[in-house]
Amino acid sequence: MIQLNKNYSLPERLAEFIPIKIVSVGGAGLNALDRIVLDGLETADVVAINTDVHSLTSSVATRKVQLGRSVSRGLGAGGDPDVGYQAALESADEIREALADARVIFICAGLGGGTGSGAAPYIAQAAREAGALVIAFVTLPFGFEGKRRNAQAREALARFSEFAHAVVCFENDRMGDLTSPQAGIHQAFAMADMIISQSVRATVNLIQRPGLIRIGFDDLLAALRTRNSRCVFGYGESDSDNRAHEALTQALKNPLMDRGRMLADAIHVLVQIAGGPGMTLSEVEILMQELGRHVSDQTQILFGTVVDTRLGDRLSVTIISSLSAEEDASLLQTPPAPSGASAVSPVRERYEAATPEPEIQTEEPIVEVTTLEEMIPFEEPVATEAAPVATPPSTEPHVIPTRNGEPEPPMSTPQEKAVARKEEKGLAEKSATPAKQEVLQFEPVTRGRFEKSEPTIIEGEDLDVPTYLRKKIRVK
Amino acid sequence: MANNNLMVGLEIGTSKICVVVGESRPDGTLKILGVGQAPSRGVRKGEIVDFETAMKCVHEAVVDAEQKSDVMIKSVYVAVAGSHLHSFNNRGCVMLPEDRDEIDEQDVEDVKINAREVSIPAQNAFLHSVIQHYQVDGQQGVLNPAGMLGQKLEADFHIIHGVRTRIQNTIRCVKELPLDVEDVVFSGLASAQVVLTQHEKDLGALVIDIGGGTTDYVLYSEGAVRQSGCLAVGGDHITNDISMGLRIPMARAEKIKTEEGSCVLGNCLPGEMILLKDDSGFAGKEIERETLNTIIHLRLREAFELLKRRLEEESYLGYLGAGIFITGGCSLLSGIDHLAADIFEIPANLTHAQAAWGVTSAVENPQFSTAIGLVKFAQVMHTERPPRGFSRILGKLFSGKR
Repeated sequence: MIQLNKNYSLPERLAEFIPIKIVSVGGAGLNALDRIVLDGLETADVVAINTDVHSLTSSVATRKVQLGRSVSRGLGAGGDPDVGYQAALESADEIREALADARVIFICAGLGGGTGSGAAPYIAQAAREAGALVIAFVTLPFGFEGKRRNAQAREALARFSEFAHAVVCFENDRMGDLTSPQAGIHQAFAMADMIISQSVRATVNLIQRPGLIRIGFDDLLAALRTRNSRCVFGYGESDSDNRAHEALTQALKNPLMDRGRMLADAIHVLVQIAGGPGMTLSEVEILMQELGRHVSDQTQILFGTVVDTRLGDRLSVTIISSLSAEEDASLLQTPPAPSGASAVSPVRERYEAATPEPEIQTEEPIVEVTTLEEMIPFEEPVATEAAPVATPPSTEPHVIPTRNGEPEPPMSTPQEKAVARKEEKGLAEKSATPAKQEVLQFEPVTRGRFEKSEPTIIEGEDLDVPTYLRKKIRVK
Repeated sequence: MANNNLMVGLEIGTSKICVVVGESRPDGTLKILGVGQAPSRGVRKGEIVDFETAMKCVHEAVVDAEQKSDVMIKSVYVAVAGSHLHSFNNRGCVMLPEDRDEIDEQDVEDVKINAREVSIPAQNAFLHSVIQHYQVDGQQGVLNPAGMLGQKLEADFHIIHGVRTRIQNTIRCVKELPLDVEDVVFSGLASAQVVLTQHEKDLGALVIDIGGGTTDYVLYSEGAVRQSGCLAVGGDHITNDISMGLRIPMARAEKIKTEEGSCVLGNCLPGEMILLKDDSGFAGKEIERETLNTIIHLRLREAFELLKRRLEEESYLGYLGAGIFITGGCSLLSGIDHLAADIFEIPANLTHAQAAWGVTSAVENPQFSTAIGLVKFAQVMHTERPPRGFSRILGKLFSGKR
């Protein structure tokens, strides 16, 4: 309770600005980055890293790093991770410089090619060494791109999952579900970019938006911190009449979610619901209840809501969770490594020496761990919003606690009325009793359907008022 | 009506208006020729609150019945309900003149009139005076005293009365159509005609007809009506409670009540949810099944408990050999029989019209008990009334029937 008060004493607290960098590596990464920038993201720095000068110049990123000036001479890595890795080694200083001063670093890369598979894991390592939370958004190549490419991608993914705190992995093959079979290949790739863009933006927003029920850096860490650091991601947005339902459906439709089945054995699920001022508690309730059906009872749900005027009528849902180990095993099974294996091993050894895992935890400025139990008091007062007398939904949260403890307004009035009626009747029967002063009622009792009919008063009770109200039995 | 054997019952209910066309067969059975119905509007708690609208609905139902039964409806028996209906038992007494000791029919008529000579509120009118039994010189349980020897004839009557103007409202609504009203019948009494067999009436039975707006009850013991009445609580109240409790529209509440509702508590899995699909003007919602059942349970429990307290004012509850019979639309709620049995501590059965055949779908639907009961009531009246010579024999039958 004391902790709660501490929270309220700082109602105006905006989430402290967390410096975020989005780093894209390789051709596919750059495409995704362009998409992210074009979709609009003001709160993060973007860095484009590639071996290919041509694609770098056409990128819209503000900061660009060319890898391996001497190794690849401004050309691409030619699909060889070795070349990509060497190029990254050559430009290691530039990379470190570009990554400095960020608390969270997102790395976007398309695995399978030279730069994406070779340089990106190295960059992830550098980012982690710089003390940032590293979240990687990577794509795995289409099946038709050949076994070699797929093998390289899985090898790179395995390394990624060691360096990054979390890896959100998109399989291009599964993207096929999102586009119609007739759609051109451009559209299929564009869709992949779009999903990465959505994911990155949603995650950035998740960290940076000040929330009614805030999701902190700590929550994100909890959701993502697993042994294998592969995670599941879903994002949905809707502005229809039934937006809560639709946004969630859309989020679960994300190819990573497998229609929510992936959530079944997650340990932590992080959910953020964001909406304009018009977002109602019931919508949040519906949404969470619906989500509840997809997760098991043991799952800890880290829940946050945000009211963001920029969203207007839209309501968005972001779901992040980490995959259980078994699920992951099938994906990570790397076929016998081809040529790249020898080049990779030194990286891994060096990394293991560094052991940054505990560092990250201690370095974090202590953010209060808001568990679900502590959040519950938030919900109860907010419930009053449904009632006519209650404050409009956009009221600042610090006003609400004053109502805490009071019974809900719609519950109390009919009871009072019922009691008052009893008194009235009692008075009528015993005229000898001295007249009492009547209590003036401010609100007429709602009798619903029986508003205009003669009240049914039996044994001093108005039977038109629902029984559970008169008996003061609380129904949810 | 051209055919004297055709009878029509009209019930202006709170949720629906129902017209039943029946034919009395020479063997004394009743055949249902057709059932017409229309959703009811402008009726609350069994009484008309919006005259014009209710009239339209009645017309609709009558037309529907005419089409289905291929009968031209000219006159009807109308059921009335409402919280204004009250009942009591009264005893009438006539002393025979010194020079005569055989009781004749005139004496029987006199005693009936005598029994009615009680003060009921000025604005009230008699609806029924149902004979329970006669006593001749203190001899109990005489069914037909005419022809018996005695000096003092007493008669116990069960009298049902209600506010005159309110009963007239119902009659007027039908007459404006225009249809003739042959008689008005308390709806609980009508239901009892078809729900109970003579044997059950003799054993002792309580009929509870829970409709949309009212709960009508009639208690029989030793073949005669002992207690009756009307509680202005019905299915509408349950729907209203659900609507308010779950904050969903009335139409939704009605739907979920009939489709998912139950008044049994603790019968569902913890946290079991019912999904209400979204619709225009209504965002989808999930509700907990236990919450829904709790709301229904509390309302029905209260209604039954009220009823029990009313019935306990007299001591007949202990003499219900046949048990409780629940009918009316609300009896379709699952578990209602168990709840009633639990509260009254008397076995309770769900039932529907028994003493009729024809359109079986109608006969077997408890929602139509009252309307079919009206036809049955009419049949009894018809057989009693016409030829004067028969009335002695049939009058006995009739008084027994009631």
